[in-house]
Amino acid sequence: MEPIIQFDRSWQNDFLKKIDDDGPWANPELFELAYQAEKESMIPSFQGLVAPGMLPALNLHPHQIETARQVIEKMHGKAILADEVGLGKTIEAGLVIKEYMLRGLVRKVLILVPASLVLQWVAELNRKFSIPAVPQRKTYVWDACDIVVSSIDTAKREPHRSLVLKQDYDLIVIDEAHKLKNQQTRNYQFVRELRKKFCLLLTATPIQNRLDEIFYLVSILKPGFLGNEAQFSRTFKSGNRSVKNEDRLKQLVDQVMVRNRRSDTGMDWPKRIVASIPVQFSAEERTFYQSLDLLKQAGLVDGFTLLTVKREACSSREAAYVTLNKRYRKSANPENQQLWNTVFQKLNTVRSNAKAEKALELIRKIDDKVIIFTEYRATQLYLQWYLKQYGISSVPYSGGFRRGKKDWMRSLFENRVQVLIATEAGGEGINLQFASHLINYDLPWNPMRVEQRIGRIHRLGQKEDVHIYNFAVQDTVENHILDLLYNKIDLFEQVVGELDEILARINLKDLDHQVSRIFEESDSEGELRIKLDNLSSVINSEKNTLAAEDGFHAAN
Amino acid sequence: MQQTDLIRYLTRFFKATGCTVLPASHQGQIRVRLTEKMDQLLMNRPFYWHYIHQTGGTPETATLVLNTDLTIAEGEPIYPGSPRLHQIFKAARQLAMFIRMYQKIPEQADRALEPWIELNVKISDRCDLKRDRMASIGLQLINGTLIEGFHQVLNKLELSSRMPDYCYTLTPLITVRSGLIRIEKLIEKELRGESAEWADEAEYRWNQDQRLLDLFYEHETEMPDVYTQECETLKELYQPRTTVRLVNAGLYYLRSETFLPDRIISR
Repeated sequence: MEPIIQFDRSWQNDFLKKIDDDGPWANPELFELAYQAEKESMIPSFQGLVAPGMLPALNLHPHQIETARQVIEKMHGKAILADEVGLGKTIEAGLVIKEYMLRGLVRKVLILVPASLVLQWVAELNRKFSIPAVPQRKTYVWDACDIVVSSIDTAKREPHRSLVLKQDYDLIVIDEAHKLKNQQTRNYQFVRELRKKFCLLLTATPIQNRLDEIFYLVSILKPGFLGNEAQFSRTFKSGNRSVKNEDRLKQLVDQVMVRNRRSDTGMDWPKRIVASIPVQFSAEERTFYQSLDLLKQAGLVDGFTLLTVKREACSSREAAYVTLNKRYRKSANPENQQLWNTVFQKLNTVRSNAKAEKALELIRKIDDKVIIFTEYRATQLYLQWYLKQYGISSVPYSGGFRRGKKDWMRSLFENRVQVLIATEAGGEGINLQFASHLINYDLPWNPMRVEQRIGRIHRLGQKEDVHIYNFAVQDTVENHILDLLYNKIDLFEQVVGELDEILARINLKDLDHQVSRIFEESDSEGELRIKLDNLSSVINSEKNTLAAEDGFHAAN
Repeated sequence: MQQTDLIRYLTRFFKATGCTVLPASHQGQIRVRLTEKMDQLLMNRPFYWHYIHQTGGTPETATLVLNTDLTIAEGEPIYPGSPRLHQIFKAARQLAMFIRMYQKIPEQADRALEPWIELNVKISDRCDLKRDRMASIGLQLINGTLIEGFHQVLNKLELSSRMPDYCYTLTPLITVRSGLIRIEKLIEKELRGESAEWADEAEYRWNQDQRLLDLFYEHETEMPDVYTQECETLKELYQPRTTVRLVNAGLYYLRSETFLPDRIISR
């Protein structure tokens, strides 16, 4: 194909006029320097990256440079970046943006990220890459600025929506792209409608259990690459969840996805040092915990609610109270009033929190920054108050915080206070690698969420070994989940990212749902043990298969 | 650009723009007092200058301290790819688009100088990838001689922005406007003669993506708007284009002997 040849002639009239007017002419020395400047900034080869050489202050890892090169040369700038948590997907994206900008292939960039990460992205691009990114704050920014970072929820709403759709973007970056997985959502439709030449989708959990999700993600990048929906179903789906022609699918997906694993990077990662911390309920706590069974026996709560309240009771009486009170309001009548009273009385007699005492002891011993993760907002508040009683300042961190507040809390934790108490929603995206001690105050039932918690500190930039303390109250549901499941599958020692792959392979959708069903439907301790045992051996066997395959690949 | 080259470049740049280069306190550092014009161009403080001009105050121009040695804490780091160097490169290009020069002449030489134009251009091949090269072409405006690599030739001559005494310039037979067209024609002819393998490869990628896209909408009875849009963006992405952009251009008056075979006179 003959390339189109385009001459820029916009300067010619100026030149002719200078000749007519005989000046004013430029300084010849500057003329030479301008020539040299141009020579210096030109890039003579299609191949290779110039950006790394232009970022002397940035400590790039080989896998990050290789990823950017692959994205540009092999994937033509349309790729899913799916590195394991903590390997620096943001850096890779920044490198790709920078390279395209230096080459003059990209000017207008839109970066869509969760609201909580907008400022973090802006700061990283500016500081690390000298890319003049701005956060979207006013409507004029869409037109006036070339590189805009925004939350997708803002961008898709009017008056922004129509302005954004009017822009001619050279490159679109979407962080946490797995959230787009559903074709029906407005977010997905919106992203499909954006004008874009290049596109990067960032996700840490690419291989979700539902095959459709991968289809939709790839269809944003390269519509038709996996066929249309009907063909895709025909070729790759068997039944609702299973895959057929898996090798073919994997081969195709590999052409649009880069996934670096910690184990492949050849980097020296800090170790994870895991300790299970058994906690003994006080007599009052134990009595309260046991009294909860009465509610189920009387038919006031179903199995699932009982389980929920029990888990909450393992965290704090405050957390349990929230759910109990809700149930009470719904179901209270004169007949069961007596029973409710008993339970609430037991709750009221609880004067101490065994876990909080343990946490205090541990924090004092560690004498360094500590992150406490809890699933419950009530526990978070209680802990903050409790630690304060003993002269330990802490900051809360929740997913619901506004951007500015999150940044503020993070920086307070980095610079001022010893403890950060985060609820689950705070788990995604925040970088806390300056701390190396993490307490799992209570345990979520989805192992991926545990992995994400640990990923906050066990990531690039962490210089110390990472200490993880798992609290579990003895002889409770919590203790079962820790002993019978997590410890059996070596959850805490796992290589990051392995887990999501394992879970995807065994098609265990919603592991926490599975686990809660096991608890609900087991009538005896023995049955529970056997079922959890089964679950963990399924996971383990898949892990061994995976390890064997990797070994095979490595040997080749 | 190595550190020493960078320091040399910056020194030349600031001297050429009339700024005062001050003694630096470290090796690999340059300290310079800007002129008013360069302050306005580089320091991005329009409010200050607005204020000075409104009040008629005496301006205090900034002193820039730039370090090519990134370990020096004082001042601002400068390296290839840094925003500051990018800005200085841009300023150099803005300030030096066009020049006119005369060749210096030894005693007893022919006093006639022939008119030439020089075009320095950046040629970029682009699809989803891009590469650049520079070309410098000279055209003699009387007999139409074309020379490639003209900039290198000029670098060997002794030139001055003032016409030497007792000299005269010959009148061009070719207008500058048609001269520019001749140069374009030459560039175009050369480009057409080059291998278009890269363009073929881009076309292949384009066709592939287009085929996939058509497949995706295979069952649609009416193509949605987004299909048209996607076709357009594929074209924007892959359509092989070669762009020719001016770096700078000059008008020269040179001795005819300069270009006789084996007679390129060195300074």
